[in-house]
Amino acid sequence: MNSNRRVVTFTVTSFILYAAFSLAASVYHFKWPVFNRINLIADVFAKDSTQLAITDSAAVIDEPAVVIEKKTAKDFTVYHLPHFINSFNTDTSTSSLTRFMQKLEDLKKGKKRKVRIGYFGDSMIESDLLTQTFRKLLQQEFSGSGVGFLPISSPTAKLRITATDNYSAGWQEENFKTSSRNNRLFLSGYLFKGNNDWVEMRDRCIRDSSASIEKYLLHGYTDVPITVNVNGKNIPVPAKVNFGKLLLEENKNPYLKLTVTDNRLPVYGISFETGSGIIVDNFSFRGISGVEFGTIDTSFLSSVAKENNYDLIILQYGVNVLFKPNDRNFNWYARMLMPVVKKLKTCFNQTDFLIVSTADRAFRYDGAYQSAVGIDSLIKVQATIAYETGSAFYNQYQTMGGHNSIVRWAEKQPSLANKDYVHPNWRGADTLAHYFFNALMRDYNKYALTSK
Amino acid sequence: MPSFDLQSFLQQFLYDPKNPLLFNNGFFVFFFTAFIILYHTFRNNFTLRRYIFCFFSLYFFYKASGSFVLFVILSAVVDYIISNAIYRVKNKTGKFLLLLASIFFNLGLLFYFKYTNFFIDFSNNLFGTHFNPLNILLPVGISFYTFENLSYTIDIYRGQFEPAKKFSDYLLFLSFFPKLVMGPIVRAHDFVPQINRPFVITDNDFTKGFYLIVSGMFKKLILSDYLTLNYVDYIFDDPARYTGLENLFAVYGYAVVIYCDFSGYSDVALGIAKWLGFTIPVNFLSPYQSKNITEFWRRWHISLSSWLKDYLYIPLGGNRKGTIATYIFALIFFTGVFFTCTLLFHLPHMWAAIITAAVLLLFVLPALIKKDKAGVPAGLNLLTTMLLGGFWHGASWNFIIWGSLHGIALAFHKVWILLTGKALATISNKPLYNFLAAVITFHFVCFCWIFFKASSFDSAAAMIHQIVYDFSPGVWKAFYGNYQPVLLILLIAFILHLIKDDLADKLIARLNKVPLGAYVAVFFLFVLLYGAFKSAEPVLPIYLKF
Repeated sequence: MNSNRRVVTFTVTSFILYAAFSLAASVYHFKWPVFNRINLIADVFAKDSTQLAITDSAAVIDEPAVVIEKKTAKDFTVYHLPHFINSFNTDTSTSSLTRFMQKLEDLKKGKKRKVRIGYFGDSMIESDLLTQTFRKLLQQEFSGSGVGFLPISSPTAKLRITATDNYSAGWQEENFKTSSRNNRLFLSGYLFKGNNDWVEMRDRCIRDSSASIEKYLLHGYTDVPITVNVNGKNIPVPAKVNFGKLLLEENKNPYLKLTVTDNRLPVYGISFETGSGIIVDNFSFRGISGVEFGTIDTSFLSSVAKENNYDLIILQYGVNVLFKPNDRNFNWYARMLMPVVKKLKTCFNQTDFLIVSTADRAFRYDGAYQSAVGIDSLIKVQATIAYETGSAFYNQYQTMGGHNSIVRWAEKQPSLANKDYVHPNWRGADTLAHYFFNALMRDYNKYALTSK
Repeated sequence: MPSFDLQSFLQQFLYDPKNPLLFNNGFFVFFFTAFIILYHTFRNNFTLRRYIFCFFSLYFFYKASGSFVLFVILSAVVDYIISNAIYRVKNKTGKFLLLLASIFFNLGLLFYFKYTNFFIDFSNNLFGTHFNPLNILLPVGISFYTFENLSYTIDIYRGQFEPAKKFSDYLLFLSFFPKLVMGPIVRAHDFVPQINRPFVITDNDFTKGFYLIVSGMFKKLILSDYLTLNYVDYIFDDPARYTGLENLFAVYGYAVVIYCDFSGYSDVALGIAKWLGFTIPVNFLSPYQSKNITEFWRRWHISLSSWLKDYLYIPLGGNRKGTIATYIFALIFFTGVFFTCTLLFHLPHMWAAIITAAVLLLFVLPALIKKDKAGVPAGLNLLTTMLLGGFWHGASWNFIIWGSLHGIALAFHKVWILLTGKALATISNKPLYNFLAAVITFHFVCFCWIFFKASSFDSAAAMIHQIVYDFSPGVWKAFYGNYQPVLLILLIAFILHLIKDDLADKLIARLNKVPLGAYVAVFFLFVLLYGAFKSAEPVLPIYLKF
């Protein structure tokens, strides 16, 4: 028997039912999201204006918890501007980081000195992404060599191309996540203890092979002096210091092998730097928002500032507080981060501070990726923190292209971001670093012009 | 109340690059209903029916890929003319020259669109040239219809088949919309005779078609799409950020994704064809049930493997002899192995030579064991077939690596059978042995998928590195907590895959008398399930390791 009629009857019946129900759903606005996603004729109807409003995130920015005080000669709204490092000055022709720029100018004029930058961030700068390009550009412009601070290990140590890192399996590790109460974690958020453990490191970004490289051990407090072994030589580590920075070696060899036999010595890491020029320390810790620094002891931080002072501290966080697609209120974040930044500023009182906003992050709304609806409120909160703490601000979100830029970056060929719609990949990070460096240079040029 | 928008209504009929037509678009429901009404109405007027079919097929293609539809028409015209000429010309040289013209035209188009940038890049890297890459978009389905064109002209050259009498016959064979985008690769001698036959389908055809369409959509739209978006894509995009455990599950996930995506599409094509009175050969037979790699290739993308066998492996010499091409490709391959060892893995020359010799030995061993010289070229022909087969999937080194891994594995399996066949004869039918063999085969296939899916060799290497050196089993609890829905879908997919092939057929035979209303109900249940999955909360990645 020929049952080709069955095919026709089935198709036509299903079609009529499907179309009729879709039409009814469109006309009477059924509130049934499951069906609305598969409505056959929704595309043919003009969208309701109420539906459009939901995706328009800029329209609904919550007011930050902290009231933005009116300050003389300050204009809060400049935080919107892309490619622009600002300290909210109404006069945009002056530098926003004068103390820091003066140090850069010293280097430019040939003065021998170290200018140290601490670049703090989350997974966005993991494995030296962004900072590797930023460091290279700065060192080309203002001299200097060396990768700066390296922790004993990190989740992405093997992927970092600016340094290679091999270590024995026995290192005990404490960090922000596993030991959140430990108040002696370093700025990296890590602390390591070795019991006959070794680490081998090689700095892969020394451009000038004749440069003399200083290799330092950064360590914490011990009751008794402990000896460590460096490239076969024993070196005593002094006891009873809050925070120590010990020169292990100075030579042209970009390699170091450190063995620690006594686990009473808290080891933070090694720093590779040259006697003069730019040093950029990458402090990345995945999954954090910056408030974690609140647990670190104030006197310890002051010791760090004394032994290993920073001329500029850059804080780039935010993407990890943006983990729920529909969050729009980040006032809690302002309340938590504000005291932390103030504390850091008190301890590092000779340091300029710069807050870099989060980059764009997208979620899937209604089947399509779009910038998080709360991103504008979050950036406003971050700008507020900068404004209120007297830090400079850089809007990375607007710089990378603003609304939906991460979606464009991820879909570009070749892509600039990963398909998690959060992380720029190495190409994207390289682009961000160039943008950031150029913004910094514009600020430097303003300084150089006025200082003449 | 929303208003009817004439402009967006008319816009629906034009090609939209952001939303190309596939079986899961709302537009397809309209398209198919209109088509089936017309097809049924004019079922007895074969000519008109054929024109309707061609028109809808080409329109489908236009909605799926815009102006690239012109290439389908162009290649249909050219191959129709050449194949008729081959058939008419009596002398052998003339036939051969015409065949060459057809091969040159078809492969030329494919090469231009698919491989130009690969070779530009290759030349820039190897010879230091400075060609700029071209901005070329790959026409949808070109890999599939190029092979269909080639099989057609070659069959006619070989005298195995008379050319299609009417141009519209040939155009329909090429553009038949259910299989146009992703296959299966259909042969003209199977398909063309079915075009001008009465529209007759049995109850069983209807049920089977329905089953294939719904189960195919389920595999593609629910299992595959869910895993891709909520897990596989972001892990593969940056494997180094995730632990080995997550990476391993991404590989398992991708094994499900590629199978469900590809076989799901094939099943829908087969099902729709069934409903229109056409039988297309089956393309996938639960490949992950295979107990060895040879069996895998009899169950995976069957239409491609059989095409490669008939039009590449056999012309190369098959299992009987070697041709010049055999030895040229073998030379390129073994040179490639050597330089991969030195340049990519940074091994000393000594080790590279040893590894190359070991691989070479694998291809010589069967001949030594059987004392039959033909064994050597047979293995090399198979290797060449796999290499080019890999390259057909995409223009990158990763696909070549993927193909050569499979080629080497096939040779290895041959040696294994020769060496252990007798010794293991007593246990090779035991369930435990078969289970172990299937698990090993599956994992080897998965290992190769890493290269197939990863965007670059470095990314594949990073993934393997994470799985081997950074497995972190300790994160399991947190992993399970975050990815529960993903793991559930993965489990469902594997259970469905393990069901014996004949079970569905037995079930279908019982369902023939079920009233039509039940089918409509099942269809709507599926549509709602699809809606539910489309609006499901996405699963977001978390960091498991600190």
